[in-house]
Amino acid sequence: MLEQAFEALKTYDYGVDRHVLDPIDEAAVTTRNDPAARKDLESRLLVVLQSKAPRDARDYVCRQLRTIGTAASVSALEALLPDPDMSHMARFALERIPDSQAGKALEHQLPKLNGQLKIGVISSLGTRGQGVSLLRPLLHDSDEAIARAAAIALGCIATADANKALGSAKPRPALAVLFADASMSCAEKLLATGHAKEAKATYQRLLKNNPPELIRLAAERGLKACQTG
Amino acid sequence: MDEKKLFPAPLRTTRREFLKAAGLASTALALPTFIPASVLGRDGAVPPSERIRVGGIGLGNMGGGDFGTFLGRPEVQYLAVCDVRKNVRDGKKAQVDERYKSKDCVAYNDFRELLVREDIDAVHVATPDHWHTLIVTEACRRGKDVFCQKPETLTLREGPLMVEYARRYSRVVSGGSQRVREDYRGTVDMCWGGKLGKVLSINVVTNNLSHACNLPPEPVPAGFDWDMWLGPAPWAPYNAKRCDGNYSTEDFSWRSYWDYSSGEITDWGAHHFGGATFAVDVRELQPQEVIYHAPEGDKRAHLEFVYPNGMKITHCKPGKANMEVDNNERETRAPKPIPGYKGKGGIIGDFLACVRSREKPFRDIQFAVNTMSVCHLGTIAYRLQRSLKWDAAKQTFPGDAEANRFTDRARRQPWQL
Repeated sequence: MLEQAFEALKTYDYGVDRHVLDPIDEAAVTTRNDPAARKDLESRLLVVLQSKAPRDARDYVCRQLRTIGTAASVSALEALLPDPDMSHMARFALERIPDSQAGKALEHQLPKLNGQLKIGVISSLGTRGQGVSLLRPLLHDSDEAIARAAAIALGCIATADANKALGSAKPRPALAVLFADASMSCAEKLLATGHAKEAKATYQRLLKNNPPELIRLAAERGLKACQTG
Repeated sequence: MDEKKLFPAPLRTTRREFLKAAGLASTALALPTFIPASVLGRDGAVPPSERIRVGGIGLGNMGGGDFGTFLGRPEVQYLAVCDVRKNVRDGKKAQVDERYKSKDCVAYNDFRELLVREDIDAVHVATPDHWHTLIVTEACRRGKDVFCQKPETLTLREGPLMVEYARRYSRVVSGGSQRVREDYRGTVDMCWGGKLGKVLSINVVTNNLSHACNLPPEPVPAGFDWDMWLGPAPWAPYNAKRCDGNYSTEDFSWRSYWDYSSGEITDWGAHHFGGATFAVDVRELQPQEVIYHAPEGDKRAHLEFVYPNGMKITHCKPGKANMEVDNNERETRAPKPIPGYKGKGGIIGDFLACVRSREKPFRDIQFAVNTMSVCHLGTIAYRLQRSLKWDAAKQTFPGDAEANRFTDRARRQPWQL
């Protein structure tokens, strides 16, 4: 059954009965406690990923690698990050592979990409909680969408370093509120993890800059939480 | 601290301030008498300047129902509609304009254009599930109160983000299950009223999980922004059945497909688990463990959610009906006052009353997220076919790298949380 499913996967395309791949779905679960079988499954999926199989087939492989992918899958997935059709699905797997090689692949590709594909990688780094030193300079990128994405990602990472990066940046006016919002994401997480001093300093910084009403009220509440928490 | 006063009122202009600013206050008495009484707030009507100014995002199917309810409310002034289907948004704009005898309602394809409007106080959201968190968090960031249809989240990671944004900006954010309060009243009354003694567990029944979609490509209809409909979901070719908003969770509706929904366990689970957690009073908690019971003979797999206080919610336990309670009548319990809606008019009336009062609504987003956590934990347990431990404080499966992969999914660029 698994053999037939892999044969079907080579030409799998939109409109084909999805059940032809059921044995692969099943194997992704049942090989959990069988490292050799799991490794074999991953290898066979990678063969399809690196072939000229239809987009739908490679999309399916990325979905499976999100669940079972290891460091062995990283280079094949990284190679797809510059591909407009496959970049998202490569991240779909890479973002969730716990091995540090997956994060390094995203960091490695970041400087090489532009536009929406770069935004996608920035987003995945933010979700993985890494890449502060690479994201910091992007806060001043000439592409406003990149700068915006970097700020959101740093707010997602929310470490002391990420907070410092946001705090030392000079956002263009159109992004000032978004940067403040990202800083508050950091401050809230810093406060929740016992770093009230850093959180308080963040709120005080935001209040110094005559922020819009919504940000001012939020920062005042945050400051109060630092004092009472 | 008085939680009821945590939410400051939205920044808005009163009718008196509006008239003054417009230079009309001193001339108001001289205006001709053909101004409708409702505009002046007579006969019990709310004058427009004191109404809650509302926009709607995602207006097909369930969104259409919500739209009609909001539009019909006297305290609402409906200002804007948003849908990626031109025929839907144009139809809704026409309804709004007909209601107010004006041409003022603005129709948007892109929700971001609606949310930047400073004159909108609140939005209702009924897009497919994969859009909810992006829209709700952006709405909060723009200072809007939000009524979001269930299932409120698509992944575990999204829930705390929704709560974080609601609290950061002091927004009233209500989930959308009307059934939690209205359908399970009998069970809730018995549990809270002490008639059942000590409640030990409650069972929930829903059917299938969602699955992959591999429908063939079809031409995108004119006026349908397909890329915007997909949004953060993986790219896929248009097919009318892929994005149909009908209520099936088996096939030929977006509720059936993994990229947009987890299927019946979230779609009906938002109602049933919401009712169950309310009945046994664990709305403020998330489970700490999900026990997977593998299929035996002709019995399907089923689940047991264990709460930190010992309460159990089962899912599809053989021989048990939906909302069936296990209890010990010999251990008596004193009755407790049952929380209800504020205001009148069901869950939307509750939301609108809370927009005014700045109280938490009945299905406050934290309660909704806690309900959705049950649905998502159950989905992951079924997919992995095994039991799971859940650390609600850290929002992780401790020491379980395989399960942690399922707490979120990468969003298609440029969408980002």
